[in-house]
Amino acid sequence: MKRRIRATRLLLWLSVFAFVSPGFAGQARVPRDSEEARDLKTFSDRVQAYVKMQKNLEASLSTLKPTKDAAQIVEHQHALARKIADARRDARQGDIFTHEVTEQFRKIIRKAFHGPEGRLARRTIQRETPVKATVLHINDVVPDDMPLTTMPPTLLGRLPELPRELVYRIVGHALTLQDAKARLIVDFIPNAIP
Amino acid sequence: MPALRRSTCLSCVALAALSLSLYTQEVVLPLKPDSVRFLAIGDMGTGEKPQYEVAGQIIAHRGKFPFEFVLMLGDNIYGGHDPIDYQNKFELPYKPLLDAGVKFYAVLGNHDTPNERFYKFFNMNGQKYYTYKKSNVRFFALDSNYMDPQQLSWLEKELQNSGSDWKICYFHHPLYSSGAFHGSSTELRLLLEPLFVKYGVQVVFAGHEHVYERVKPQKGTYYFTEGASGSLRKGNLRKTDLTAVGYDQDRSFMLVEISGDELYFQTISRTGLTVDSGVIRRVAKISGAASWPTVRPWHGGLPGRMMVKAIDVNLTRALTATE
Repeated sequence: MKRRIRATRLLLWLSVFAFVSPGFAGQARVPRDSEEARDLKTFSDRVQAYVKMQKNLEASLSTLKPTKDAAQIVEHQHALARKIADARRDARQGDIFTHEVTEQFRKIIRKAFHGPEGRLARRTIQRETPVKATVLHINDVVPDDMPLTTMPPTLLGRLPELPRELVYRIVGHALTLQDAKARLIVDFIPNAIP
Repeated sequence: MPALRRSTCLSCVALAALSLSLYTQEVVLPLKPDSVRFLAIGDMGTGEKPQYEVAGQIIAHRGKFPFEFVLMLGDNIYGGHDPIDYQNKFELPYKPLLDAGVKFYAVLGNHDTPNERFYKFFNMNGQKYYTYKKSNVRFFALDSNYMDPQQLSWLEKELQNSGSDWKICYFHHPLYSSGAFHGSSTELRLLLEPLFVKYGVQVVFAGHEHVYERVKPQKGTYYFTEGASGSLRKGNLRKTDLTAVGYDQDRSFMLVEISGDELYFQTISRTGLTVDSGVIRRVAKISGAASWPTVRPWHGGLPGRMMVKAIDVNLTRALTATE
């Protein structure tokens, strides 16, 4: 009888230990989530830092308000792009899409392009005007005559939300992060899109 | 005698051409007092001769159908976006309209740069998606290049808050299309259509496919593609069950008039031929239900047989398309 009580107590303690200890069943889930959260926080912080810099640079230019003078729009875009490129002249691919962030994005993209939803997302891209093979560089301005590839809405629904100063754009098989006004490539993940 | 015969023949040809031009300038819309009148054009900004020819027809038709504003369905400016491009691909072809105070309300196509939203003539006020109201009609101009969750929730909120009789959405990519080049945007449809059904959007305009197509009503909504006001993919319409009327033989534009519960439309080709017309009737809203429209042909002053024949011919040609 005493042995049975001891065994029951032992089992009880073991189950409590299993519940609270990171070495047991709960371990795999908790760190993976926090890892994802940490990586996406890294992305968000770097995006915020970019936006802060971009806003400061744009503040040094005359404010772009809706205008009938197309030259003003074009000049503003070019001036802002020059300033950003100058301020980020040492920027490298992976500054915002760090290795860890890239891994998280690749997972999100894989999910978005699999299953029945994925078929539609792939179709959205395939049905667009083909984009010529392009070698991407940080701080390159996207040519005006390059047609936009539609961003699959289901993918946009899964990716981290961006402030209005930045947009995701697909160029070929790359997922790029672009400045919405300067139309400049801020960072990109090559071969991200199937 | 042969000279007389030749001159008689030439006179007949001239008369036929004259009567054709008079006939083709016919506006079959009812021009009711206080109606909302507008033009819909898409994929026009090439800066090439056909765009100017379509613009010429539009200007000629405005004399008979004085529309107040224009829906631009995207691909407003193709290729380069230097100031000269804004001039040659927009300001010059539509100058008489701009001078007359006609307002243009644009959406972005896949060939546009997002910075067009700062171009005052496009009335986007710096926004990629926006809404405005004309009398009893609420328009929702969307950015179908980038349908993110923020835009979707904005749209739902705006549709929910709109008490207008007519709700019209327009954007670049068609949810339903028989075009062979791109076809229907099915992924976008999965997100937008439930909102259109829930909030009773009666009519949707799109471009992208360089043809004209009126799709049979889908879940109570009427879909028009007008993507041939500058560019054209001749013979690019596939034969599908979707099409109510299609035209892929020349460039075209749409004239639209809304009066009370009726929306009249007339689609006209670059040469002035009416290729489609009709009226969509809005059914009064029953509480808790969307207001479903019904359609009936509206041939106005035009002989219906001629219209049907023209459409039949075009669809037959579309079948032989090799693209």
